[in-house]
Amino acid sequence: MPASRLGQSKNNLQAGSPPLIELRNVVKVYSTAAGDFSALKGINMQIGAGEFVGIVGKSGAGKSTLLNMITGVDTLTSGEVIVRSNGSSVSVHKMSEDEIALWRGKTLGVVFQSFQLLPMLTLVENITLPMDLVGNFNPRQSRERALELLRLVEIEEHADKLPAFISGGQQQRVAIARALANDPPVLVADEPTGSLDSVTADHIFEVFEHLVTDQGKTIVMVTHDQSLMPRFSRAMRIVDGELDTAYEPEPQSSGRQMK
Amino acid sequence: MKPRWRKVLHDLIDNIGRTLLVVFSIAVGVFSIGVIAGAYQIISNDMSVSYSANNPSNIEFRMTNFDENVLTSIHNQRGVKDAEGRRVFNMRVRVPGTEKWTTLDMVAFESFEKNAINLLTPIEGAVEPGKRQVLLEKGALDHLDVGVGGLLEFQLPDGSTKTMPVAGIVQDTAAGAADFLASPFGYITMDTLQYMGQPKLYNRVYITVADDGDDILHIREVGGVVKDKLEKSGNVILRTRFSLTHEHPLASTVNAILGILLALGILIVFLSSSLIANTLNALLNQHLRHIGVIKLVGGQRKQVFRMYITLIMAFGVIALAIAVPFGGIGAYALAEFIAVKLNFNLLGYRIVPMAFFVQIAVGLFVPLVAGLAPVINGSRITVLRALSGDLAEEKVQIKDGEKRLSWFDWMQVKVTHLLALRGIHIPRPFVISLRNTFRRKSRLMLTLFTLTMGGAIFISVFNVRVTLHDYINQIGKYFRADVTLDFDQPYRLREIENAVMSVDGVTHVEGWQFLSGELLDDHENVIENITLLSPPADSTLVQPILIEGRWMRPDDVRKMAVSEGLRKTYPGLKAGDYIKMRVDGRDEIWQVIGLFKFVDQEGLLGYTPFEYVSEMNNLANRSFSYRVVTESHERAYQDAKAEELDKYLRDKGFKVRVAQAGSASLDTAVESLDILVVFLLIMAILTAIVGSMGLAGTMGMNVLERTREIGITRAIGADDRARIRTVIAEGVVIGLISFALAIVLSVPFTYGLSYIVSSAVFQTPIAVVFTYLGYAIWLGLVLALSTVASILPARNAARLTIREVLAYE
Repeated sequence: MPASRLGQSKNNLQAGSPPLIELRNVVKVYSTAAGDFSALKGINMQIGAGEFVGIVGKSGAGKSTLLNMITGVDTLTSGEVIVRSNGSSVSVHKMSEDEIALWRGKTLGVVFQSFQLLPMLTLVENITLPMDLVGNFNPRQSRERALELLRLVEIEEHADKLPAFISGGQQQRVAIARALANDPPVLVADEPTGSLDSVTADHIFEVFEHLVTDQGKTIVMVTHDQSLMPRFSRAMRIVDGELDTAYEPEPQSSGRQMK
Repeated sequence: MKPRWRKVLHDLIDNIGRTLLVVFSIAVGVFSIGVIAGAYQIISNDMSVSYSANNPSNIEFRMTNFDENVLTSIHNQRGVKDAEGRRVFNMRVRVPGTEKWTTLDMVAFESFEKNAINLLTPIEGAVEPGKRQVLLEKGALDHLDVGVGGLLEFQLPDGSTKTMPVAGIVQDTAAGAADFLASPFGYITMDTLQYMGQPKLYNRVYITVADDGDDILHIREVGGVVKDKLEKSGNVILRTRFSLTHEHPLASTVNAILGILLALGILIVFLSSSLIANTLNALLNQHLRHIGVIKLVGGQRKQVFRMYITLIMAFGVIALAIAVPFGGIGAYALAEFIAVKLNFNLLGYRIVPMAFFVQIAVGLFVPLVAGLAPVINGSRITVLRALSGDLAEEKVQIKDGEKRLSWFDWMQVKVTHLLALRGIHIPRPFVISLRNTFRRKSRLMLTLFTLTMGGAIFISVFNVRVTLHDYINQIGKYFRADVTLDFDQPYRLREIENAVMSVDGVTHVEGWQFLSGELLDDHENVIENITLLSPPADSTLVQPILIEGRWMRPDDVRKMAVSEGLRKTYPGLKAGDYIKMRVDGRDEIWQVIGLFKFVDQEGLLGYTPFEYVSEMNNLANRSFSYRVVTESHERAYQDAKAEELDKYLRDKGFKVRVAQAGSASLDTAVESLDILVVFLLIMAILTAIVGSMGLAGTMGMNVLERTREIGITRAIGADDRARIRTVIAEGVVIGLISFALAIVLSVPFTYGLSYIVSSAVFQTPIAVVFTYLGYAIWLGLVLALSTVASILPARNAARLTIREVLAYE
């Protein structure tokens, strides 16, 4: 994959154009031993192409559940999640599980706090795995693209190492590269810096910022770190399963404060 | 290689212990099936090919002496293709300078060159003996330490000896094929008979039929016609035997035994499949997170399914690579073992296509079936559940919105509580072991199933062994004499009694007689031969197991008690019925007074009193055969007394033919049965291995899944020994539960296996006997196995640091 292709998805945010991601009255209720628990209480949200959206909230507020609704990893109780990309509009939860998997592989890149790399595969293999599963690239192209992505996240020299042999920050860079494997327009990150030290976390955050500014990716990131809010193009707070519409992120104090 | 296949390859080699567990689980089943199926195919083919290659006779008449003219007349009968006469008699023989005498069945041929029936296969030395030379059947070499060119000393009826060189070694696959307990054979020409003190006359004729040699009705018909003619011309036929050309007389027995082994082989495959299912279940559980990641980055259900099915197939292929060659070698070794025992030849080592394909099918199909459910469940799991590791934990029952304990967990808690109230405090680590045991119930069930089946089979094999031995001992009640003495001529009872009683250690002696009869149908055709033994009616040397009617009395005339096998010839036969029988050429009507249990493998047997038979044979107060009772009934003592009596009587001028220990033939029978039991035991051990592998696998998986809990126990003060004890106690609890279940299951297994084995070997179901031995050995074994199977996982658990286990993902 030529380098130019990495920048293919430019910022498409245009006033008046339909949102890239749209949540319509999304409700998620879990049945537990203690009774029904509403994790999301009618969330309405629109995210435009090229936005870098940060979602904050306390533990148990419903941040991860919200991301799971967008990625189709979890089912919703009511409402609808619509994702528009490559000229088509998809109602995520109306697809079968296999259709969601394939759609996710092409449209969304997911990054977790715990990296979730397969320990038996080398870094480059971890990145080629989504390409192999979705079938967008042939094996040779896959490897070239994976190396290009590793270069992008600045750990190309470790390409043939196993995840256990690199640091947590480097593993998260690989996870980001893997999320970009099929060149999806959207990245979804769940506390991606949560298990990293502040310096490493800052570097990772910078990678995300570059992806938005240089490649026009749309990123939805969940974090409980309030200090990151000013760095998002838009910040939202979720409280007890509801969006806090009155939320205004505090202005950033001097320097970058991570965690 | 694509990354997903790299992952499959990695999964295959990553955890060698787990891979070996699955591979060996499959391999044990494939190996067992391969050995049995291969041996079955080789034997059923080669046994008949080897047997028929030597042109076996279809009809054998044992007759009184006859000459060449009679043989020619037989040859000229319609339906007869070929007929050959022989003289068969037994002689005692030994290697000069040695003490031990062996009885040989000597067979005299007119011409070895023209021999066309029951052909001899040359092995070493001359193909035909010269005058005053002998050929030995290779089986004789087990008894005589002699080679080609060596000398043998033959004892004539008058006690004198003659020496002849061994001209060659041959194999005779036809004569004696029906009786693997028969005496070994020696072969001479008719010209040597005079030298051996025998008349130059035949006493046996072997006939092949002109048409279908595999049609028993046709063979019987031809036999009936020939016999009629012979008897009308004054010849006496003592015994008749009919055989098919292409079926070894013991084929059905061997096939029945192989059938039993095959059933056990299938059971092993079945057990190994439960082990495979267990291991794959655990593997899929361990891989949930991987599956979650694959699905998260675009993997579809069918892709995950294909990956894990490929992994299972790879396990199967590796197992096949190990088990197929060993299975082939094992099959040939088993076939060869049986071939040597039954004196037939194999056509050479070869791959048996049927066994090969069965192994391939078992090796690929069984793991596929066993692994299908775990793989389908694994591939269906949602990303969310997979990433949260939801399936790795036990389900909690929720009823009416409340968490509830399962009844089993509730019972465990309650029992512990009740015991504590009564002052019985079970150590907490042991409570952990007990509760852990029942946490993964489906896994526990599969492990228990495998181990219980292994145990039940193991115990049953011991019970069957004792049952068979007990039956042989029961049969021994028909042979209670310590020494059997046979003479070449009849002697007065009083005369033998005086002589024998003067030997130290002899307490009792009695004369016996014999009759050979032929059972006739309504058209006076011979159906079967029957041997009638005639001890004195009040003899204490026979203690029959009567199933109907009564035993014989001194005044019984043409009355007999018969073995229950006669019911196969006369269905519904009962005491009081009359049957038609030909005795010494006379057709007579005999009454059946009772039926008793006996081994029918060696032909039908009946008892009729000495008092009647001695008069009928014109041998009143005289006999050829005597039974001696000695002070001790040990085999060694019997052997010593037999030898002493032999020497003593010969010195006194008696013409002793055979003096042998009373339990000699019984011991041979027990030996043969023990071979069968050894095979059963091998299968039982294989099932035990599969069972213990299952337990080892389960313990390994349990420990692996509870790594975090182990860390917690260590963090709150458990030392290495305590943790090892907890894991081992869990294994032992599983072992003990399986033992309790095996005790129950071994009862129907023992009955079933005894029924099948006794029907195959004795042609009759026998009374089942139980022995504590199998239970005791299995208890020891299961305790040892469960301890050993838990030690490795326990040591691994002990080795982990708190940081490692609490960080375990």
